[in-house]
Amino acid sequence: MAYDVGRATGDWDYGELGAMVALGAGAWIERPECFERCRSTRTPAVVLGDDVRVFGWTTFNLEPGARVTVGAGTTLVGAVIMAAEQVDIGADVTVSYGVTIADCDFHPTDPAARHRDAEASAPHGDATRRAPLVARPVRIGDGAWIGIGAIVLKGVQIGAGARIGAGAVVTRDVPAGATVSGNPARPADGEER
Amino acid sequence: MTAAAPTLAHDWYPRPLPPNVQLGERTFLHSAHAFVHCASRRPVAVAVGDDSGVYHGCHFDLGPEGVVRIGRFCTVVGAVFATSGTVRVGDHTFIAHEVLIADDACAVPPGGPGEGDPDHALPDIDAPARAPRLRARIDIGADVWIGARATILGPARIGAGAIVAAGAVVTGDVPAGSTVAGNPARVVRRGPWPA
Repeated sequence: MAYDVGRATGDWDYGELGAMVALGAGAWIERPECFERCRSTRTPAVVLGDDVRVFGWTTFNLEPGARVTVGAGTTLVGAVIMAAEQVDIGADVTVSYGVTIADCDFHPTDPAARHRDAEASAPHGDATRRAPLVARPVRIGDGAWIGIGAIVLKGVQIGAGARIGAGAVVTRDVPAGATVSGNPARPADGEER
Repeated sequence: MTAAAPTLAHDWYPRPLPPNVQLGERTFLHSAHAFVHCASRRPVAVAVGDDSGVYHGCHFDLGPEGVVRIGRFCTVVGAVFATSGTVRVGDHTFIAHEVLIADDACAVPPGGPGEGDPDHALPDIDAPARAPRLRARIDIGADVWIGARATILGPARIGAGAIVAAGAVVTGDVPAGSTVAGNPARVVRRGPWPA
């Protein structure tokens, strides 16, 4: 059967997402595959405001109890959003290509706990023995820009209008209107980039 | 340079190539899907020189004035070109996986009213509230090597024979023959590496 071009260009029946997604007026989702990794049982699991644009590189990767909200007018180009609990993205935010946003480490860092978690996470492991997820919600304020390839980690709050440089690894809060870049992200020295 | 074939025999994506895409002799292009966000109205939006390969993961997200020119014997493994300006890639240049070549640090695909192939359902809304889209010039020389996940931001000029290390974030000038690395990218070597 011929490939349905609409499923690569946003022209498909968003109704197939069911109660998983609350859609604002004019919201546009390029590809249904954006939601293939959404395992949240919350209804809705993902809230997209009016005129949100979700390009096909975006992935909503949600654990069962997670919710992601996206404010009106926001553009998500290529964000992998890894949520165990809550990621809130404001209005008129631009998330560029190749971005990762995560509210959790998903696997423990202590070696012994990691060892047990690795076995529980195996393809045929006992998932009930996995280490509990420790989430710290992420919030991105209105009008923020998240640059190409940036990584925003758990617990980070990015203030309104902040600019996150390309390739930045954001581990701490960013004040409203600030520009940060680098790994770890620090206030940019003058040049906006 | 010959006119592009309307479709690629191996393609999973059942759309013709845009008429303003030119492929040289003995080229490879992974899919017409590479142009799903191509809104360029220029007579030649994308030109791929003879004997060059443009592989899976490459996309041309060009604004109405966007132009990409790729030289001969180039290997472009997986670059996204997000530009409303002009990007030139010299002969015998290698570009690895997940490389972004963009006008600015927070580039987005085009998608304003009337942009793009009318058959492609790009959203008919204004771009988000942000500065006017830049139209940067990016010149990548011949015999350049660009590592995986590097980001090249305009305006930029990468001299012939330069190496851009994996994950580097480049803007501005990279001297010919030098190696740059890091974020922001800095010169870590001036001349060639020992054989």
